[in-house]
Amino acid sequence: MTIQKSKLIQGLSWAHEIYADREQRVRELKAAGKKIIGYPCAYVPLEMLTALDLVPYRIYGSIREPVTEADRSLPATFCPFMRSCLDRALKGKDDFLDGLVTAHSCDPQHRTAHVWESCVEYSYTHFIDMPGTLRADSMDYYKGQLADFKKTLEAYTGKKLTADKLKAAIKIHNQQRALVRDMYQLTIPDPPLISGTEILETIKAVMSLPVAEGNELLAGVISEVKSRSKGPPKRRARLMIWSSTLDDTEVMNVFESSANVVMDDSCGGFRPFRANVKPTADPIDGLADYYMNEITCARTFRQAAIGETKKDYPKDLASRFGYVKTIVKDWKINGAILFLVRYCDPFAFEMPSFKDYLNSIGVPSTYIEYDYTVGALAPMKTRVEAFIETIT
Amino acid sequence: MYFAGVDIGSTMTKVVLTDAADNILSSVKGPTGPEHRQLANEVMKRVLDQAKLKLDDISYIVATGYGRVNVPFADEQITELSCHARGVSSLFPGVRTAIDIGGQDAKCMKIRNGKLVDFVMNDKCAAGTGRFLEVTAATLGIKLDDLGALSLKSTKKIEISNVCTIFAQQEIVARLSEGEKVEDIIAGLHHAVASRVAILARRLKVEPDVVLTGGVAKNIGVVTAMREALGCEILVPEEPLLTGALGAAILARENYDKAGKRGEPVTTKGRRLEKATFFTK
Repeated sequence: MTIQKSKLIQGLSWAHEIYADREQRVRELKAAGKKIIGYPCAYVPLEMLTALDLVPYRIYGSIREPVTEADRSLPATFCPFMRSCLDRALKGKDDFLDGLVTAHSCDPQHRTAHVWESCVEYSYTHFIDMPGTLRADSMDYYKGQLADFKKTLEAYTGKKLTADKLKAAIKIHNQQRALVRDMYQLTIPDPPLISGTEILETIKAVMSLPVAEGNELLAGVISEVKSRSKGPPKRRARLMIWSSTLDDTEVMNVFESSANVVMDDSCGGFRPFRANVKPTADPIDGLADYYMNEITCARTFRQAAIGETKKDYPKDLASRFGYVKTIVKDWKINGAILFLVRYCDPFAFEMPSFKDYLNSIGVPSTYIEYDYTVGALAPMKTRVEAFIETIT
Repeated sequence: MYFAGVDIGSTMTKVVLTDAADNILSSVKGPTGPEHRQLANEVMKRVLDQAKLKLDDISYIVATGYGRVNVPFADEQITELSCHARGVSSLFPGVRTAIDIGGQDAKCMKIRNGKLVDFVMNDKCAAGTGRFLEVTAATLGIKLDDLGALSLKSTKKIEISNVCTIFAQQEIVARLSEGEKVEDIIAGLHHAVASRVAILARRLKVEPDVVLTGGVAKNIGVVTAMREALGCEILVPEEPLLTGALGAAILARENYDKAGKRGEPVTTKGRRLEKATFFTK
């Protein structure tokens, strides 16, 4: 066990502290001899890192920091999130990282990964290819990718990734998913007991800690929120935010100054925790099923029926977005903001269909695009407020 | 009983005073501009002087527009989208689509029974806004107010292909050097603005009646080009700059009445007739 010098506080204050200075704990762990592995996206199977005692650390971009270095290597009309991630790496911001694992969640990440691996020195890098459409044979291909990942991890650590170790890691990561879902239960009351901002800070903090410590943080947050007397004030609407990435409280504040954000389908929020990895005899099968089928990111295309020659649009929509229906009902959501990062093709293509689906289940929505900078927030505030005025 | 709507736009500040029947008692327009943006209180004083009223005579004040966030003498803030929708539908009860082209943004609003139900706005780019025409008028050395009439003299259709304000300027210079007439170039610019805004409006499905407001609606060239681009009649209010402030004043009256019906006291405490600021602390 390593000593946690930094942790003298609990619950929401601990979450806030880690959110504000994300790297403090991993720097301590690195000093104690742990290997820290960065990943920029929910499609990296963290269970395989945890199983080998590697510490996963989620890499984020920064909406507060102008991109200055990445433009040497990447086109400017390109995913501003990936540009910002690479920019920070080129500036030496996450210099405590021993390794970098990326996945083909989208073309920008795929292409950026190759630039990244060649411009920044890591002792371990790995890229996981991912099929873009769900088919029976995509699963076989993806399992092959996970087998490759296993091989390079074993070579890097000099340890065997046994089924038992992996099952234990899956168990503890599933506990984390259950705890995050417990935290989101606290937004069901009206007004919610916990704010969208507090949830965002907690999840970002969790993704900056080893899984066991993240679980401890989540348990602390949940018990603190349940016992405190004063929660967030009741606002005019209960919103759900659908987004590729929503990772800064400045953005959340724009929504929460006029509404309660009670749910999200976002990478820095509920999305990576919505479901559990199923127990399977070979744990790789459970992981493959989870990462291909259960993460509801627009990067994976879920057609209702492969091979049908005529498209049944309502059936297709239900197959792609049906998971939202019970969420809308249980969380009493009365509006959705479709919050897109500029140049994010997967979400831009998915948005009109998602909007149609929300219309079909009676949820009004508005679409807001932003360029992943704080400068874009003032006009955004007008759009958010006007949307709330239309639904209340 | 009197009500006021204060619309602080990126370019112009507009104030409208109304009575309990939503009649306009007085109105003032003044530049928001970098030096004047903090002078909303002066515009307010002028409108009060015109109507021979004092601030305390006003039952309720609603602020709207980009500068709405911190108008120290307003009782409530409502976005310009809801205010425009309300103002336009009071003037044109049959309106279903309202298009407002202001100094820095263009917005299209879907209106049902006088209420805003959906909207789209342009992004950060200035193309297709009043600023686009301001910049290009300056390049051509022509007064902004003269653009409309001049463009009606055009006999030749010129395509201005670039929707970017800065690059359109370069294109104008190139066209001038090719010997094209100024009125034809201006007509081309108006078509460029109209087609840009029409693309935005079509995202909402344009349904009549269509009303065009904002400073750009004073330009007959753009109105004509918009009619062509959307293929339908376009109505323009007499004072297209004032619909936001008028809507704010009407919403002030409605919210005041609603609070009265609920028996809630309407607080107008803490009003200060001071400079407005765009920056919240």
